[in-house]
Amino acid sequence: MKNTEKYLPVIPVLVAYAALLAYGVLIPGKWQIASQLAFYCALGQAFNLFMGMTGYVDFGYVAFLGVGSYGMALPIYHLSDKGLGLWLIVIGIFLAAVFSFILSLAVGAVALRLRGAYFAIATIGVNEGFRFLIEGARIWNGSEGLLFFLHMRTAFGKQTATAISNYWADGMVFAVAIVAAIMTLIYMRNKVGYALTALREDEDAAKVMGINVTKYKITAFITSAVLAGILGATAWSLKYSYVYPSDVFEIHYTVEAIINVLLGGAGTLLGPLVGGIIYGVSKYFLAIILPGFQLLIFAPVIIAIIVLFPEGTVGMLKKKVIGTPLEKYII
Amino acid sequence: MIFEQLSGNLIQGLVLGAVYGMATMGLSLIFGVLKVVNVGHGACIMVGAYTALFMFKQFGLSPLFAVPVAMIIGMTLGLIFYYSAIRRLLKGPELATLLATFSFGVILEETIKQLFTSEVVGYNWDLPKFDIGITVLSLSKILAAVGSILVALLLYLWFNKTRAGMAMRSVVEDDDGARVCGVNVDWEYALSFSLGIGLTVTSGVLLTMFIPVGINPYMGGPYTLKAFVIAVLGGLASPYGAFFGGVVFGLVENGSYTLFAMIPGVEPFAMTRFFSFVMLLVILLIRPTGILKAK
Repeated sequence: MKNTEKYLPVIPVLVAYAALLAYGVLIPGKWQIASQLAFYCALGQAFNLFMGMTGYVDFGYVAFLGVGSYGMALPIYHLSDKGLGLWLIVIGIFLAAVFSFILSLAVGAVALRLRGAYFAIATIGVNEGFRFLIEGARIWNGSEGLLFFLHMRTAFGKQTATAISNYWADGMVFAVAIVAAIMTLIYMRNKVGYALTALREDEDAAKVMGINVTKYKITAFITSAVLAGILGATAWSLKYSYVYPSDVFEIHYTVEAIINVLLGGAGTLLGPLVGGIIYGVSKYFLAIILPGFQLLIFAPVIIAIIVLFPEGTVGMLKKKVIGTPLEKYII
Repeated sequence: MIFEQLSGNLIQGLVLGAVYGMATMGLSLIFGVLKVVNVGHGACIMVGAYTALFMFKQFGLSPLFAVPVAMIIGMTLGLIFYYSAIRRLLKGPELATLLATFSFGVILEETIKQLFTSEVVGYNWDLPKFDIGITVLSLSKILAAVGSILVALLLYLWFNKTRAGMAMRSVVEDDDGARVCGVNVDWEYALSFSLGIGLTVTSGVLLTMFIPVGINPYMGGPYTLKAFVIAVLGGLASPYGAFFGGVVFGLVENGSYTLFAMIPGVEPFAMTRFFSFVMLLVILLIRPTGILKAK
């Protein structure tokens, strides 16, 4: 495969995100919906980078978004009067990446030595464990959380602060989604992706072939976690100006990440995008028709997908387009 | 003073540990026979708690009557879930059963939320309390522990003395071998899944006899985590290992609570939960096959 051909699948991804962005910007009053959809897509893209490629389920995934949101909240909360201006956001994103990097390295170093079921068991506690560490040891204000609405105003001025919450934070969510998609494609087309595919099919065989499976698993795990951290920093901290441990370590976001990926097709590039949009739109309408029933409807949907069509929508589409010119674009 | 407090809490931990142990046997049974991790474990415990609550509040029946009802509810749920989903996923990747049991838990939580709202509730079963000097044990706690030990004993006898139990054990050892010897492996899978869920739901009733407050649809999360720690302590695939793991865990939990409470500026309750998570990671790291090598 020629080098340019390798990266052709990025075109439909970029077109789709551009369309979503245009929908939000051009049609008045649709920005919030578009950015909410972008959040689901970004969550799915980042989650898919690990779960889709390795076949491991990380039930503690939301913890990375949680520490990321603290990474953004802390500098704004403590340094708002230092006159750093917009550099605070840069520092926040950097800290979010660092926090999620450290947590994922620590968790990965332990959990990724374990396989399948044992891995899932080890990760299920990460989220709760970290939340209770923050609450129990009263780190970062403990269970009271951080409220920094006024700090945002001091740091950026009233108008800029409002613009950040209403537009910039959402714009950055789009950026995270696109970066996550590009990272996924780069991994898929390079050694990491090939190694992980081998691992997903048969871990022992991959090991015997001399593939350092732990190294590649950790690479995917950390990349996925750092993206989640930045997503938490922008989509939650910057947007809502508060961080409560009980909110940012809410396991429902892990469920949403799983649904987005499965609806679209685990391990595909377009999957999380398609899944995120299907999920976001149906959740939006369900909230209107049957408020409070969303999870009760989506949980059986997950089971139905796993039992009836485990490849997801994009997975099925991928099979359909084999042999047609579209083949190069859809993976 | 501190020593007295610690020993008092350890006695409480021992009693609670028996209930914890019983609450984990279902998880280990399902993993042992089907190699499926029930991620919705805590939600099943929650269903048991609501069974006890509902029977107490609605009919004024003591939680002891809720035990058989919970067993029936749990076994029915287990059978339905096994035949509708798990059975078709056993040959697939591990991811499939993990996600399926996880969703099963979410379904239980959301259904209960629709039926009973997400309010935190509790009940008050007024039974005499015994002051044994260093701590106070209520009769309901003792009944919960005795009930747990009884269930564990019954399970032991069933596994070792009856043909049905031995057939199930043969599936744990080697399912192909069992199939060759004429054991209906599919039925054993269904039965153990249903029995496992039944035991777990029942344990929810016993747990509310110990802690009758704080019942809400999402109470299961911490129990899932605790059950995983306990199951891993006991070697994951062995129900008896799980029982002893529960006792150890009860002791460690209450002991660490007492110690954390002595550190100023720390919320001992949350720290205890963090500690159980650290314990899980450490055990998985050093001995994933279990610390207690019970039969």
